[in-house]
Amino acid sequence: MPAIEHFIHGDGDRRQTLVVVFLRGGADGLNMVAPLEDDGYYRARPRIAITKSKAVPLDGFYGLNPLLADLQTAYKDGALGIVHAAGSEDDTRSHFEAQDLMEHGGIVGGGWLGRFLRARTAGTSGPLSTVALGREVPECLRGAPAATVFSSLDDFTLGANHARLMTSLARLYQAQPNDLGAAGNSTLEAVRRIEALRTASYQPAHDAMYGDDEFSRGLLQIARLIKSRVGLEAASIDLTGWDSHFGQATVMDPLMTQLARGLGAFYRDMGREMDSTTLVVMTEFGRRVAENSAFGTDHGRGSVLFVMGGGIKGGRVFGKWPGLTQDVLEGPGDLPVVTNYRNILAPILGRHGAGANLDKVFPSFEIQPVEIYA
Amino acid sequence: MKLARRTFLKLGAGGVALVATAGCDQMPRELKQLLALVKRHDESFQPPATDTIDPIIHALNRAGFGPRPGDHQRVRKLAKTPEEAAATYLEQQLHPETIPDDDADYEARRFETLQAPPGEMFEYQPDLLQNELMRATLTRAVLSERQLFEVMAQFWSDHFNIDPSKGDCKWLKVVDDREVIRKNALGKFADLLRASAVSPAMLWYLDGRVNRHASPGDKPNENYARELLELHTLGVHGGYTQKDVMEVARCLTGWTVRSTVNPPYFQVGKVEFDPALHDFGSKMILSQTVASTDTTLSKDELKQRGRNELERVLEIVAAHPATALHISAKLCRHFIADNPPPAAVATVSDAFRKSDGDVRQTLRALFKTDEFLLTRGNKFKRPFTFAVSALRATGARTDCSTEIIDYLKRMGHAPFNYPTPEGYPDQAAPWMGTLLWRWNFAVALSQNQIKGTRVDLVTLGGSSGGDEHLMSHLLGRKPNPDESQAFRDSGDGLALMLASPGFQWC
Repeated sequence: MPAIEHFIHGDGDRRQTLVVVFLRGGADGLNMVAPLEDDGYYRARPRIAITKSKAVPLDGFYGLNPLLADLQTAYKDGALGIVHAAGSEDDTRSHFEAQDLMEHGGIVGGGWLGRFLRARTAGTSGPLSTVALGREVPECLRGAPAATVFSSLDDFTLGANHARLMTSLARLYQAQPNDLGAAGNSTLEAVRRIEALRTASYQPAHDAMYGDDEFSRGLLQIARLIKSRVGLEAASIDLTGWDSHFGQATVMDPLMTQLARGLGAFYRDMGREMDSTTLVVMTEFGRRVAENSAFGTDHGRGSVLFVMGGGIKGGRVFGKWPGLTQDVLEGPGDLPVVTNYRNILAPILGRHGAGANLDKVFPSFEIQPVEIYA
Repeated sequence: MKLARRTFLKLGAGGVALVATAGCDQMPRELKQLLALVKRHDESFQPPATDTIDPIIHALNRAGFGPRPGDHQRVRKLAKTPEEAAATYLEQQLHPETIPDDDADYEARRFETLQAPPGEMFEYQPDLLQNELMRATLTRAVLSERQLFEVMAQFWSDHFNIDPSKGDCKWLKVVDDREVIRKNALGKFADLLRASAVSPAMLWYLDGRVNRHASPGDKPNENYARELLELHTLGVHGGYTQKDVMEVARCLTGWTVRSTVNPPYFQVGKVEFDPALHDFGSKMILSQTVASTDTTLSKDELKQRGRNELERVLEIVAAHPATALHISAKLCRHFIADNPPPAAVATVSDAFRKSDGDVRQTLRALFKTDEFLLTRGNKFKRPFTFAVSALRATGARTDCSTEIIDYLKRMGHAPFNYPTPEGYPDQAAPWMGTLLWRWNFAVALSQNQIKGTRVDLVTLGGSSGGDEHLMSHLLGRKPNPDESQAFRDSGDGLALMLASPGFQWC
């Protein structure tokens, strides 16, 4: 049985945290990371394509949407990897079905992250091991050992009699000879650290500038919790509203700005802490390759997935580019899914301690991990 | 007592007429409340007065979700000694059909979707169904007089775990809970196993519905067969081989469920055996032969043969000695200790075999072992038990709202939310990280901050007879000096007691 003291951590001890960002609504990968050297892209999107001159160059073939320029630093540092033509096997092109399948990890009970945390911790996880930023715990965390919707640090205190209760609890838990004593002390310590957080103002490190939107605020809280070592193992946060059927730019531009500003600030703020952190950005599906008559794009298949964190062989775009010729496109004209998202998550979960339990996390799926780590 | 205007309207003239013609048993609850016939926990009572947990508290803790105000005293009156009283109580609990349960029945009836026939389930939103299923389960655990039955329903829900988030389980788990788990919770293990094997939710959850052999090259889907042997019956070290798993899977090919995914959308949830998808070749399971079938027989005959094969497989595994041992070890872990004492497991396993897997007789034997009788206060409450025991101990009036379910989710123990087939763990270690939310819950309960749940602090304190008595009631024994001191210093004695180490064990 793992030692109870592992709930929370000394400053010398780097805890690994996995942050999952879900872009709900089907984010258009082609408009975030454009295949600049594929003529098919410009033919399919005569009005909305990103021109070579405006794109932020990545590797000579792909370019970032200029609104995602804040991601360039992490990419150049080798801490950010991009996977193109990524997604799941779901071909219903239904938001609900595709999100459900992606978050469950197939037609299977519970969420992939929930199963991972159960399988991984086998012994014990702490009260703050898992938080969901937002209004509810997402499906990917279903079945997790301790999933908390994080709304405010006040949630973690003991109300009006906080101080006196803490003293009394300390008196009783310290007298416990067994594992419960250790668990009690560990929990008391976690509450004290949160108390310290509550009363202090937070100054992001390295002059990181978070935005004044919900997404940025959420990432800031996650960075704060990681740095204060309360035992955070997984955090989830959504950025919603990517369903760009109509007026692609009106829908996507503000969201891309938020995404890049949030991720850029998080990366900067975290600094060396990023070594023990992995952040993954995914979406349920991409959009049709060809633009529609309303300057938008309809539901498609493959999209992009971003992975940021320690040990990543970043600074490159993973996955074979399938091309955009008619024989390649799927169904009504969609970028096919070349890389199943599980083949990216599997090595990440491996790094985060999944061990031999990956078949429990992704049952009935033959994992062919992409070599995202050196 | 004050009644809401709406309640009055609901009662109406019909209710009044009913009083005139019917006895108390048929009286609507509102009327009973009006006439103050519903049991209330405000009479003064005598809490336990021993330094350690006595046999009565032990029985209330283990064969239930903990004592309510006055329960100890009530059980104590059943016989001359505490030992005999506890034994009498346990024997009563083994016969839930003889225990009136109006309060729980009444409250649980609010969740009316749960009573719908299988085909009609699909008309409801899955979220609504799952919410009602969780709330009904919580309601029964808090209110039911048939506490052991509720404990066993939970035990089997873990043993035959189904996470309703998979496929059509969204709807069908409700049927499984009603027709498989609750129907057989204190019956014969073989009946429970059979019901589970052809439960549409189980066929979905462990992929039995897609275990088919339509052409010679088809490989069976082994998912259910493996869990049947590993989790439901023999246990992982029960002496079966990979070959047995494959052969069991072959025997169980051809069982299908009409689903919401494939047309025709008619009689969704119906379980059917399709001989065209069954492997009729001969098989060998745990050294017993299952003979092949001549596939030129009539379709009706083939259907019968296929069903027989399922019966045969379940018979073989249910009667296997490893199954008796596996189930007994799990029961002993649940009722006695995280590391079940081998002597008790042997006794219980013996009773299981001699009674042909009769759950009632097996439990009766368990409750008589020295290990059960003497190992007290050593089980760490799982979060569900913690929350329910707190609601019961405080005599809380609660609508078992989603807010309480949310607390359970934070503690990782909401009913029917375990993702993988082995069900929630039944040992202390995995739950040690849940203290913060237990403390939060204790504070919220004591401060009446949970919507729809109220604790009458004044009455509770008064009826137990003062602080020391209240502590004895909550802990099931007299408090030690440290506990008394902490209680006084805390500023919120009730919250402190519920959050204290002593209340986490049962």
